[in-house]
Amino acid sequence: MSATTTRARRGHSLQRRLLASMTAAFVLLLLLISVLLWNYSRAAANRTYDLLLAGAALSVLERISYTAAGPTVDLPQSAMDILALAADDRVVYRVFSPGYGDLTGTPDLPLPADARASVDPVFYDVRLDEPFRFIYQGRQITSSSGRDWVFVQIGQTQGARRAQLDTLFLYGMAGLGGVSLIGLVFVWLAIRSSLAPLGDIAHTLLARNPRDLSPIEGDPPQEIAALFRAINSFISQLGRSRALTESFIADVAHQTRTSLSALQGQLALAVDADEPERMRGRLGKAEKQAERTMHLTNQLLANAMVIHRSDEAQLEPLDLRRLVRDTLAELLRERRLRAVTISLEDEDLPGGTAPVRGDAISIREALRNLIDNAVRHGGPENTILIELDGTAEVVRLTVSDAGPGIPAADRLRATERFTSINSATAGSGLGLAIVRSVAEGHGARLDLGSADLGGLRARIVFPRLATLLLAGLLLSAAPRGAMADEITIWASTDQVAMAPLISAFAERHAGLDITYREFQTVDLHRAVLEAGAEDMPDLVISSAMDLQVDLVNRGLAHRLRIPEMIQPPGWAKWRSELFGFTFEPAAILYDRRAFSARELPTSHRDLSSFIRDHENDLRGKIGGYDLRRSGIGYLFATQDTIQSVQAQRLTEVLGRAHMRRYCCTADMAVATQRGELAMALNVIGSYALHLGKEFPDIGVHFLDDYNLVMSRTVFVPKGARNPQRAETFVIFLLSQEGQALIESGTALIPLEPVSEPHSPIAGLLASKSGSFLPIRLGPGLLTFLDEIKRREFLRSWDATMIDDYGP
Amino acid sequence: MRMLLVEDNDELAETILDRLRSEGHSVDREANGDEANDLLRFSSFDIVLLDINLPGRSGYEVLRSMRSRGDATPVIVLTARSEIDDRVVGLDAGADDYMVKPFDFRELSARCRVLARRRAGASSNVFSAGSFRFDRAAKQAHVEGRQLDLRAREVQLLEIMLDNLGRMLTKEEVADKLYTFNETPSLNAVEQLVTRLRRKLEGAPLVIKTARGLGYMAYVSDDD
Repeated sequence: MSATTTRARRGHSLQRRLLASMTAAFVLLLLLISVLLWNYSRAAANRTYDLLLAGAALSVLERISYTAAGPTVDLPQSAMDILALAADDRVVYRVFSPGYGDLTGTPDLPLPADARASVDPVFYDVRLDEPFRFIYQGRQITSSSGRDWVFVQIGQTQGARRAQLDTLFLYGMAGLGGVSLIGLVFVWLAIRSSLAPLGDIAHTLLARNPRDLSPIEGDPPQEIAALFRAINSFISQLGRSRALTESFIADVAHQTRTSLSALQGQLALAVDADEPERMRGRLGKAEKQAERTMHLTNQLLANAMVIHRSDEAQLEPLDLRRLVRDTLAELLRERRLRAVTISLEDEDLPGGTAPVRGDAISIREALRNLIDNAVRHGGPENTILIELDGTAEVVRLTVSDAGPGIPAADRLRATERFTSINSATAGSGLGLAIVRSVAEGHGARLDLGSADLGGLRARIVFPRLATLLLAGLLLSAAPRGAMADEITIWASTDQVAMAPLISAFAERHAGLDITYREFQTVDLHRAVLEAGAEDMPDLVISSAMDLQVDLVNRGLAHRLRIPEMIQPPGWAKWRSELFGFTFEPAAILYDRRAFSARELPTSHRDLSSFIRDHENDLRGKIGGYDLRRSGIGYLFATQDTIQSVQAQRLTEVLGRAHMRRYCCTADMAVATQRGELAMALNVIGSYALHLGKEFPDIGVHFLDDYNLVMSRTVFVPKGARNPQRAETFVIFLLSQEGQALIESGTALIPLEPVSEPHSPIAGLLASKSGSFLPIRLGPGLLTFLDEIKRREFLRSWDATMIDDYGP
Repeated sequence: MRMLLVEDNDELAETILDRLRSEGHSVDREANGDEANDLLRFSSFDIVLLDINLPGRSGYEVLRSMRSRGDATPVIVLTARSEIDDRVVGLDAGADDYMVKPFDFRELSARCRVLARRRAGASSNVFSAGSFRFDRAAKQAHVEGRQLDLRAREVQLLEIMLDNLGRMLTKEEVADKLYTFNETPSLNAVEQLVTRLRRKLEGAPLVIKTARGLGYMAYVSDDD
């Protein structure tokens, strides 16, 4: 009920306005500072992460050497590891020499604008499918023909930079924001205290008796003295207006009573009259008087209604042309208008319509009064012309007649209440007052003038309503055609392992149609690269982590929103795009009939010695992956060279022992059970641990120094047709439910075996828990996908595997 | 004519009854909406004068149930509200005409006659007003016994005007009713046709009034 709520609602609070302008000033200031801070933060972030690029470039340049065929490079793992410090960023690189073309990496990477042969690094930004920051650096090497330049280019997406920038910027802004808030609090306090006198005035006014219209007294401060005077002048105006209203009521009372008295007088005379003739005369007069009283009452009510509606009624868009036509057609049915010549001219309306914002009932009343006036003052055979015309801004409604009109001097007075200019034809004296009220209620203007016909010309000028053609804009965004709910999965994992997961997911989503297609890891990688828009799958699942990282590094994956609760551990996710959902250690399979568990080696170093010591027994009886055919085998082998200096020695030992090469874990298990193999190395542990009753003679062995762990990974490619459903599938795989199902229903091992902690597999894993070394998803896996690196690695492996002892 | 007046104010009802009876009509009166509704269910009238504010059910409800029964008796609504809603007269409520109180009794009588004529014209083949007589079947018009020489189009126009007695018709509406789809209606032709018909009707109490820019309306001048 307080005045403050009213003030607040209408948004005219001085306090708010002052506070708002101060806030605006602060915001402007903050904006200026934020621009500076942004630039500073960006420079700082760039400086930090450029060092990573520089480090990686240097370590690559260092490994450039010269061979008979020209310069070559042995991509160092450290380069990728340095870059992987910006954990979620994608990486591209190229090494080339002007004389020999591209040596390795992604061809056709953009060069800096001022590419010169120089040993100094050049940094530059390029937008590929997303913004990249590049380093470009050269080195001269001595060749047979002299000195050749070799250049390295490394580009990295700017995720980490952006995050660093955001952190620097947000911390800075938070501090500044805090300071600004404190400043604003002081501003607010100052405003409050200086606006206090206004509150005093409000109190004074509130405490007043409504009848008390005397000026308020006091000694206001300079700034609000004008307001003080305005309030006092308003109060005195209010007093005058109240006096006017009181006189209006007195007028109404007077008019009505007079009229009724006259009527009563005539009737009384009629009652007293002795002769029927006299009585008839009196009654005739009484009837005329009653008619006048009726008209007066009608007009008073119309006047009150029009004023009331102009206060209350919502003005609505309407076509004045139609309203005028309908009103006239209605009026003309009345008998008293039969002799009047009425015409309407509305041909000149722009656009043929007269859109205004108005109240139909009030406008009809105004038009009726104008016509009534014309008939009343101009006689029943008057000529009345109604014109409707206008411009782009206004609509004019003009009523002219051939009656006596109003002299120019009296026109102003004519619109006042109870003013009749011609006493001979006087009506209620309210007609034009009603018309004026209607005009005022519509923001329109009433002009009185002389008509060409000779009488009065009354014109109401309405503001024309701008016609809005919204129809076309309101076309509702039609919902996309109901797409059949289906997802396509491309996977390198065998369907038997995945089947329980897929059918469980399909059960939860009735009507979902899942297409499953299986590939070898290397074929899957190629198929995704070559897939067009029509055949892009919704999910790609593979055990070859490096190939999956390569696809994601090419920007082919969708970002997924996985709930925090079920996010996999850090090593098993990259960029919120690639997620691992299993835990699969590399293991050694052995024939229990050949060895006992206690005889087996406990470390990689021991493994080499063990094989060498038993070289004669084991010749041709050791199985391993064919690195050319198996992505998993290549991944485990290359990761071994990073982890252990013994790797090269082990390869040599295996070569001498005529290791036999297999495509898959299953084949090695079968060969071991048959006694063809005494042991198989780097097999997928999850499969080995789940070997059933048909393999009673096979043992699974883990080493103590380290056991590599890989994870099956999944991502949703860009171009997937049903990415939302695909995302729910990924969430399902990572959820507690999905993980439990992996543990209980498949030959795979969940990321964290918690639901059955007492199972033999869980027990075995727990006993070796310290030795498991998960392979981390990230750019580090790209090193051995480098063409030269891969070629060299496989060549030296081939050379060691002297003969083809494949099965 | 047999009329029903539904009005709860006794004084007003009495004056209306006196007036209408003095003109030779037989008038029943009901003061209650429910009772009026029951009466209308079983008796038929030529015209119903219906107040809106009634005890029992309101005039609108009485009217609505009449129309839902398929009762097409002409109804004139009497109301004290001057800001009358367009829909009262329109098809929504189904009234044929309305008058705002206080009204002139002569006007009321005239409106009743117009409605009665319009109705009689539609149900019988002969329209007559004072010295004017029109036989729809024979397509012949007489004034004071003298047959008017009317062409086919003029007869058509006369029929249209009689069907819409007391109603304003725009020039376009007249043209639409006069000409078939294949003929090109010319508004000028309508104007000339009306002028010719009016000349031929001279001396008859049937008047065709022109309001330029608005249209034409036929009325019977004897009704005054």
